[in-house]
Amino acid sequence: MRNANHAGQKARHFPLRIALLSTLTVAAITVISAVPAQASQLATEVADTSGGTETNLLLQNLLNGITFGLLLALASVGLSLIYATTGLSNFAHGEQVTFGAAAAFAAVTAGAPLLLAAVIAVAAGGASGWLQDTVLWSQLRKRRIAPMQQMIVSIGLALAAVNLLQIWMGAQRVRLSTSIEVRYEFGPVSIGPQTMISMAVCIVALGAVGFFLQRTRLGRATRAVSDNPALASATGISVNRVIRIVWIMSGSLAALGGVLLALYENTSDFSAGARILLLMFAAVTLGGLGHPFGALVGSLVVGVVAEVSTVFLPTPDLKYAIVMGMLILTLLVRPQGLLGRKERVG
Amino acid sequence: MTDPQTIISADHLIAGYLPGVDILNGCSMDVKDGELIGVIGPNGAGKSTFLKALFGLVPVREGKVQLRGEDITNLKADKLVQRGIGFVPQTENVFPTLSIEENLEMGAYQAPKTYKSQRAKMYDLFPVLGKRRNQQAGSLSGGERQMVAMARALMMDPSVLLLDEPSAGLSPDRQDETFVRTRDINRTGVTVIMVEQNARRCLQICDRGYVLDQGTSAYTATGQELLADPKVIELYLGTLGADKDDEDDADASAAPEATPEKSE
Repeated sequence: MRNANHAGQKARHFPLRIALLSTLTVAAITVISAVPAQASQLATEVADTSGGTETNLLLQNLLNGITFGLLLALASVGLSLIYATTGLSNFAHGEQVTFGAAAAFAAVTAGAPLLLAAVIAVAAGGASGWLQDTVLWSQLRKRRIAPMQQMIVSIGLALAAVNLLQIWMGAQRVRLSTSIEVRYEFGPVSIGPQTMISMAVCIVALGAVGFFLQRTRLGRATRAVSDNPALASATGISVNRVIRIVWIMSGSLAALGGVLLALYENTSDFSAGARILLLMFAAVTLGGLGHPFGALVGSLVVGVVAEVSTVFLPTPDLKYAIVMGMLILTLLVRPQGLLGRKERVG
Repeated sequence: MTDPQTIISADHLIAGYLPGVDILNGCSMDVKDGELIGVIGPNGAGKSTFLKALFGLVPVREGKVQLRGEDITNLKADKLVQRGIGFVPQTENVFPTLSIEENLEMGAYQAPKTYKSQRAKMYDLFPVLGKRRNQQAGSLSGGERQMVAMARALMMDPSVLLLDEPSAGLSPDRQDETFVRTRDINRTGVTVIMVEQNARRCLQICDRGYVLDQGTSAYTATGQELLADPKVIELYLGTLGADKDDEDDADASAAPEATPEKSE
């Protein structure tokens, strides 16, 4: 029993290690090929707007990092919750983020105001989470398919989904809002109202997730399932019901993240979610696998380190390499991640 | 025909984890309401598997499990909790990132209205848990975790409690405490089925014992009878077992020899 559990735990963590290795590989490729516009966009903007001393640049990048970190956290908290409760490293989570932007874009195109479009996107995201779990993931769990195989299924799903999204959205970039954003100056930093609203929405949504996990019975049951699903079931918790709710939440949060990311970057396309997928994995791993608040802390660290590092780097294209280097160092020193904790033995 | 006093029965269970590999090969048991049953046997006899088969955690391929005459074979664990069966696993028996109080709350997940009154009862039964209610369960010692696990299983006020090696890995003092507490819980009217490696201590406190061997129930008798049975002593209790307590507890001359279980 003990060995079986131990082996089970190892099996649960194996796919994430694979994900981590994939992340590092892609980061290396990114550095070599110096993937451009996306990576350097923020730093360029900052240079334009601050136009002053290095301190101004630093503060502006810090603010940008916090903003991006919050958006990343919103997108990745569902990834973390799904991993915690099911052991699945869901590679199709990026497409869930894109789906939110696509649904909002479709609603805006149909004439809905932006706020309503965002609500529709969040609802559609939740519905897609419910549908996925009902049709696919719960069936795989019922057949006791191991997390590793489930991860491969999620990669296949991601490939299928990204193509479907391309058919839906087209290959071109889309914008949810065509208005030109004014920027307000606050001392050495500047920020636009859309970004401020995005940050506020992120903080409220992440606070709501925290409240749910800490202060509600269902949230505590979710943490119990993430601690030990077999024990949760033996205690009388309906594990499948909890996981279904987590999928709905995850879909909604990812969709909201997709909408806000599209507003923040002022553009989106069929691969917007896929581009940040590996950063989400990095954030979740850095924060502590399966820890309810690991995604938040990890994302903030990833966002801030990536943006602030551009002040000191010869080229901003290296910023994600710095993030990955920091991830490796952190895991060498603290294998359980920033918030993860070693359990007492005996 | 089921004895009306029988609360839970297992009839010729054949069960195992992998298809085609049976761990239980026709294991049977009848437990009367309010009894404390000890299940002992050598390693690999199928003791823990038997308990898990009763609780729906191992698929039963043949045979039947009944609770008060109702067939509960292969019902999911959360449904069995609803019907009044509690289970305490041997290892990983707490939610480590939840506090003690949150662990107890999860125990009453299906009956939130009774949570507060049951919690108060548990803090009476295990005062140390009340004092450290906000401490994370993952930081507790093995003995303390065992207490949390027992308290959590009792939160639904079960009529049957299944304990999988509750003394495993505990110091001798903690083991004694666990056995005494198990007896106390049983005295409140809860039927207890306890699988134990510490056969001697288990048989000392239980009303009846079952000896499992190679997936079948080989013997059943009262705890005292089994303690005095030469074959049980030789095979399961060892020759060092003639300590003072046991001699006091088990009068060999008075105890009849254990009878083989009529399971065939």
